[in-house]
Amino acid sequence: MRPYGFDARIGRLMIVMTYISVALLVVGVVLMAVNRISPLDGAPAFDPSLIWTDLRAALPVGFLWLGLIAVIATPIVRVAVSAVGFAREGQWRMVAVGTGILLVIAVGIATSIATEH
Amino acid sequence: MFGSLLGLGGGVLIVPLLTLGFGLPLREAVGVSLVSVIMTSSAAAGVYLERHVANLRLGMSLELFTALGALIGGSVAFLLDERLLALLFAGLSAYIAFSMARRRSDPGRQPAGAEGAPDGYVVHDMGKGVIGATFAGVISALLGIGGGIIKVPLMNLAMGVPLRVATATSNLMIGITASASAVIYLLRGEIDPYVAGPTAIGVFLGATLGSRLAPRIDLRYLRALFVIVLIYTSIQMFLKAIG
Repeated sequence: MRPYGFDARIGRLMIVMTYISVALLVVGVVLMAVNRISPLDGAPAFDPSLIWTDLRAALPVGFLWLGLIAVIATPIVRVAVSAVGFAREGQWRMVAVGTGILLVIAVGIATSIATEH
Repeated sequence: MFGSLLGLGGGVLIVPLLTLGFGLPLREAVGVSLVSVIMTSSAAAGVYLERHVANLRLGMSLELFTALGALIGGSVAFLLDERLLALLFAGLSAYIAFSMARRRSDPGRQPAGAEGAPDGYVVHDMGKGVIGATFAGVISALLGIGGGIIKVPLMNLAMGVPLRVATATSNLMIGITASASAVIYLLRGEIDPYVAGPTAIGVFLGATLGSRLAPRIDLRYLRALFVIVLIYTSIQMFLKAIG
């Protein structure tokens, strides 16, 4: 039987990541308002290599992309951290399940990149 | 807030709002909805894990199959005509409206284990769970919903999980299901940050407010209003599909 503390720590990690995502998105939306950008204006295409440049230039799109990546990554990070926790306890079936989930997501990313190019 | 008060994710309202209200293409609305669904799911699942209500092992075991379903659904969504997606959404809205109307007319009917304690239950029939979870993943990725409408009854009625645990575990699973397909939508350019950012914040604030207001609101009237909104949505989506 796994200790409850493990679940609680993962829960806290998810809450913290959610608040970080919200904070980044709020900054992005405030900058949208300051720059008079309408949600229906149409944003530049997703390019991870430009995020840092956009952040340094205080462009709303940089904060929004980073916030959205943080939102999407939260459950994936939760699975990865859970798998590590299960590995420490020697629960190899759950480690395999966690690895399987991450593999499925990796296949989704790889096929999307391949299709786009 | 509406979704949170009635125990649903926001997807079933966000997609038609963005599509019918703001003229966004359906696939783009689905991408934005998935982000909002992850946001509310993560916040709620974090609390459920801290309070030891969600079953992490069961959730992860089923997540493998919802993620697989989401991968299939997320890939198929780009091959299907938007009119077919609208037709599927119309069917889903009608089904949820029917389910809620039936629950309203029969308030005494509670699933087994509705008041049961989170501990002391035995999960059975993993086979049904695997099939149902895969199906929930496909539907979630195609239509931008969390899929709780499939996962909760699946775990509660077919697998013997108490309702409270099933709801919490479903919330946990929704995040990874939506993430698996949101990654596909993001990389294929179907998520617009100018729409997704404000929508996600609105949904997060609404869900937070909804969870505080829930004890003070008579949900019977809200549910009746929700059924009317869903029927209207279903008709509009059907008209979009055939028009």
